[in-house]
Amino acid sequence: MASDSAEIEQQLVEILVAFLGGARDISRDTDLIADLHLESVQVMEFVVEVEDHYDIAIDLDTLSEARTVSDLAAIVAGAGGA
Amino acid sequence: MGLLDKFKPVQAMSKALSSAGGDPTKVVLEKLLSATEAIIGGRQTILAGTNNYLGLTFDSSCIAAGQRALAAAGTGTTGSRMANGTFSEHLALEGELAEFYGYPFGMVFSTGYAANLGTLSALAGPEDVVFLDSDAHASLYDGCRMSGAAVYRFKHNDVSSLEKRLRRLSDKAANALIVVEGQYSVLGDRAPLAEFARVKREYGAYLFVDEAHSLGVFGKTGRGVVEEAGVLDEVDFVVGTFSKSLGSIGGFCVSPHRELTLFRYASRPYVFTASPSPATVATTRQALHQLRTQPWLREQLWRNARHLHGGLEALGLQLGPEVSPIIAVRFEQSDLAKAHWTALLELGVYTNLMLPPATPAGSSLVRCSVTAAHTSQQIDSIIEAFKSVRDASLPLASQR
Repeated sequence: MASDSAEIEQQLVEILVAFLGGARDISRDTDLIADLHLESVQVMEFVVEVEDHYDIAIDLDTLSEARTVSDLAAIVAGAGGA
Repeated sequence: MGLLDKFKPVQAMSKALSSAGGDPTKVVLEKLLSATEAIIGGRQTILAGTNNYLGLTFDSSCIAAGQRALAAAGTGTTGSRMANGTFSEHLALEGELAEFYGYPFGMVFSTGYAANLGTLSALAGPEDVVFLDSDAHASLYDGCRMSGAAVYRFKHNDVSSLEKRLRRLSDKAANALIVVEGQYSVLGDRAPLAEFARVKREYGAYLFVDEAHSLGVFGKTGRGVVEEAGVLDEVDFVVGTFSKSLGSIGGFCVSPHRELTLFRYASRPYVFTASPSPATVATTRQALHQLRTQPWLREQLWRNARHLHGGLEALGLQLGPEVSPIIAVRFEQSDLAKAHWTALLELGVYTNLMLPPATPAGSSLVRCSVTAAHTSQQIDSIIEAFKSVRDASLPLASQR
């Protein structure tokens, strides 16, 4: 059961802030690599947290299409994240 | 953006590596003196970062076997086995590997990287699902990508993380392939293979184990973590390399599945690569013989591993999770790790520097690997070098 897209985006921001270990200026348009300077390995680690939060599984090809929080939210919604 | 502009960040990284002392990617072994010593920077140096676990690179019987093969069969095969023919020694090595593991199938590749690429890309396809340990080697990632399968990562060595993902995908994960390593190369920690085998059974999946760093190191007869964990009859695919404990170059896949003979047609990294040279095959076969008939090599390896681990632990250094021939010293800051690596090299001890993002949990490591050929005195010298560097760097560390 998918939540509202904006709600998922907000939840992802909270998970991301916790993953990064503190408050950061993050919005739905934040680019995980260009803005936060995350390495691809770190993005994958973050997504494991996201998968566990929503009880979903995201394959690496699908993940490679996500650059922003908003992109990831769309993937989570498509995977049935609630 | 120009075609080559993408290398600018790499150039910056290379400059940063070179900025303070030596660059670990540019170390030149000017002359090899033995399996454990070389001349580096004009200095006699103990090699403590080679993965040469059984110390067989200078084994006289392996060298003689290679020399005989060079004289008898020439310098190279000059082509792929599918197009240019198989040498009888290729088949002999494949048969010996299969027999060693007690499986009906064995296949040899030209490198360990090609073995993972060639096996995974042929095994899985776009309709398949692969579950991959998050700390898996790049060759496993690349093989999965080449297969076109849907690839899902699970937390390193975390069986429940794997099970959750199998459950979430439900029917889609039927016949899934689970890909793990026996021993992980950076920290030397082992996979809980018995647990992974249980999950494989429960979900009807297949289990693939990369034993690159385990062959000749673990198990009563040296068959790796699959033997130590008692899962030889549950694993579907064992892949390994000749470039570590066997002191040669190449890779292999062995399996209880006879159907894999068709791999020879389906595996592009096998079909389109020149086959291993006669000398390579001959030294590998002899090294495998040594591994099987000289168990004292493994015993000596573990004595040396315990010696070095105990010595470094006594210095108060932060080490990896297990005692093993891979001994990784952790540092809080990457520049401290680099300073240690550089100072050790200047003291005549070659180790491996490993920095984020190529390390688990973003840690910075000076990684040592022990061989059976190290003498007790050499191990003491390595410990003494670490002590000297630690003592010299304490003021630096305390300023942070």
